[in-house]
Amino acid sequence: MTTETAPRIALPGGEMLAWSDLPEQRLAAGGPLAALAARIVPAGARVLLAGPHDPALLDRLAHAEVTCLLRSYPDGVALAERAARVVVGGPAGLPDGERFDVVIAGAGLDAVESVEGTRLGWGGVLDRLVAALRPGGDLLLRLDNPLGLHRLVAASPWYARRDDDAWAVGGVLDTDRPANLGQARDRLDRAGVRVDGSWAAYPQPAAATALVATGPLAERTTSGLLDAVLHGACAGGYARRDVLQDPARLAVDALHAGRAADLAPGWLVLARRSADAAAPAAAGRAELPVALVQTGPPDVGVVEVVDGPDGWCWRAGPAAPAGPAAPFATREAAYRDPAVLAGPVPAGRLLRTVLLDACLRRDLDTLRRVLRGYADWLTGQARDDGRIGGAVALAGADNVVVAGDAFAVLDPSWQASEPLAGDVVLARALWRFAAELLTGGYAHPWTSTLDVAGVAVVLGGVAGRDLDRATVAAAVDAEAAITAALHGLDADRRGTLATELGAVEPTDPPVGPRSYQQLREAWLRQREELTRLAALLKWTEELLTSRERALRRADATINLLSGSLSYRVGRLAITPARLARRGARAAKRRAREALAPKQEEQQ
Amino acid sequence: MHHANHFYGHAHVLARYTGLGDGHPPRINGYVQHGWNIGDGLAPGHPYAERTPSLLWSEQTRRRAWSVGRRNVVVIGAPFVYLLAMRPADPPPTKREGTIWYPFHGWEGQHVKGDHKELIARIRDTEPGPVTVCLYWHEYGMRRVRRLYENAGFRVICHGYRGHWWRDTDPYFLDKQLTELRRHRRVASNRLTSAIFYGIAAGCEPAVYGDPMVLANEDPTFGGTARIRRQWPELHGEQVDLPTAVRIARSELGTDHRCTPAELRELLGWANLQEETS
Repeated sequence: MTTETAPRIALPGGEMLAWSDLPEQRLAAGGPLAALAARIVPAGARVLLAGPHDPALLDRLAHAEVTCLLRSYPDGVALAERAARVVVGGPAGLPDGERFDVVIAGAGLDAVESVEGTRLGWGGVLDRLVAALRPGGDLLLRLDNPLGLHRLVAASPWYARRDDDAWAVGGVLDTDRPANLGQARDRLDRAGVRVDGSWAAYPQPAAATALVATGPLAERTTSGLLDAVLHGACAGGYARRDVLQDPARLAVDALHAGRAADLAPGWLVLARRSADAAAPAAAGRAELPVALVQTGPPDVGVVEVVDGPDGWCWRAGPAAPAGPAAPFATREAAYRDPAVLAGPVPAGRLLRTVLLDACLRRDLDTLRRVLRGYADWLTGQARDDGRIGGAVALAGADNVVVAGDAFAVLDPSWQASEPLAGDVVLARALWRFAAELLTGGYAHPWTSTLDVAGVAVVLGGVAGRDLDRATVAAAVDAEAAITAALHGLDADRRGTLATELGAVEPTDPPVGPRSYQQLREAWLRQREELTRLAALLKWTEELLTSRERALRRADATINLLSGSLSYRVGRLAITPARLARRGARAAKRRAREALAPKQEEQQ
Repeated sequence: MHHANHFYGHAHVLARYTGLGDGHPPRINGYVQHGWNIGDGLAPGHPYAERTPSLLWSEQTRRRAWSVGRRNVVVIGAPFVYLLAMRPADPPPTKREGTIWYPFHGWEGQHVKGDHKELIARIRDTEPGPVTVCLYWHEYGMRRVRRLYENAGFRVICHGYRGHWWRDTDPYFLDKQLTELRRHRRVASNRLTSAIFYGIAAGCEPAVYGDPMVLANEDPTFGGTARIRRQWPELHGEQVDLPTAVRIARSELGTDHRCTPAELRELLGWANLQEETS
């Protein structure tokens, strides 16, 4: 660990030698943050990257001259080859008088300060970075929301942090640190930079897979796109983590309440330093994306949504380098093709949300109207043989938007390799929705006696289609194959997945985050089922006792009658007929036995 | 299965609709509402196992049942709705004539207080055409009561025995009722009951008038006849606005909630039958 191996590393003092900030799990191509930074940084610009950033972000800024300001020496070594210059030390290590066109602090300001040297605090670091910005230059800064969704669902309180980087816990009580977007605007204004763009970062401040412009996020409360983006980001981002409540539910609720920007785990704020003369026009800002989202296979990269003259449009970002093709890739059931993401984003509400709302309100009329419309729409997309291919084959409730009576695939890049039977496509969508409805603990119009497949069949009925359990079973197999293809699972894991999907019970907690609320709800559902079954057992026992009593009475009556004179006389009278019938049966049996070998010989 | 599920052959109608044939219907995992009801859809006084599903006719009844503590309540529509779906035009409604009149009945354990003679006079004064009086089997078996109506010149019928403890249920009770209803132009009663709603659904013009014949010890929990008149005034009178009646009947019978056969098999617990119907 010497400077000779990394000649571009400057060590002005304050470096941390046994420390690293670089995340262990990284998003492909640096994720949405890198995509946004690449849009903001002009070619040839001098950029200061303050704090730790994914090395892939530097690759995205290859068109600029990047100086990294880091506190960790190992991180400096790791990034040295990719940056024009690396300064390892606290913010005091920045050369005085040096000015940059763009300053990016995508990990926030806390990670810029070293444990060594004098502490500047959040405001002090901000002032230092602003001082390094040329007039008219841009600052892209990450702010963490002390009241963000990640805090609301956290199992541990923010004020009890024990991690190595928690040598000081900055939080909402620190008045020097802005705690919401309004305060951030004021604080940055006072520092000499004016905010003219902000994005909400979901699901975690440090690992945002979705960035959504805060204006539309607050205004377009029923947008199917934003619904799907927030839900997807949170469901994936908290998978297998212990949380208090379902973050995806909370995010979508916040969206509908117009508070998804306020409750975002973090924000990325774009601010411009006032020029000495009149402030320059914010050139190019109109083209910045409304949303940047990273979902699906890593080689797809970030998908962007931009606001064009005809409304929101898809814009696929540059693809990350593709990994080796999966064996038998051509036989996979589904794949993602970002090349088709070029047209307008269909407007409307997300089908899942519309259905959930109708289930909760027990609005069967709406459920019938919407599900019939959906089933008819699917049928309308089928080929002559009744099979459905392409994006529609995979278009379930989480990727279909509804506007009035019109349905559309939200993100058409998810494609089925081979067309599926029309009723299997419908059954798969309904089974997936049923599983989410039941395991998620949502109230719904049906009884607890139904299993997941049962609710899928019932939903099929509500859609006006008489689905049977065999179709639902085929749909579950298709779901396993599609999930396996999209997640790159091998045959063994695909088989395991199919078994697991088939075994999902309404009393199970949902897959994904381990939410205390949902685990408790699953326990309550189990308890209620036990109560129901115990009551049913008691009832059945009583009924059995009563029926056994009735049977004994009937037996007694039969015995009484069979002992009577009239019964005996009658039995004597029919005895010859009974004997004759018995003889005829024996003769028939002998004849059949005699014929059987001959028939076998003939065969 | 609760024996009340067999009343009026309801379980038989549902079994036929779900493709299980005319045999003995399998056990239903729940209680099928067996008559129009201003309560929670279940018959007062019957024992029920907690949380066993209530399979109800209408959304309004479902809300009411939930509000009084019932859970696992689901709307499937009335069995009569399933019968109508199986027999949309049988018999063909060629010629409808006269009125089918249902004097309100109690069930076997109840005793009606009222004056049949007064009711007969009211019917004769009101009904323009021939009158068929349909008595509940209990009253039909009371020769004195039956004679009263026969002597008034009315045709007196009975749709059958609703059954009790799985015995003697007439599996075609509702079929007979539908056949009779389709022969008549009007359906009338002295109380708003299932038969009026069935009649409306079968294409009759409804009327509700005359002494409602209060039952001795009638359960006042849900408000009784007074509440029925308050809540459904549009259906009371010798002449009733037909489109309004059709709309209300559609809602009360849950016509729009009729399930598909596969859906109904799931809700009745018939999707994975272990027993054979016979």
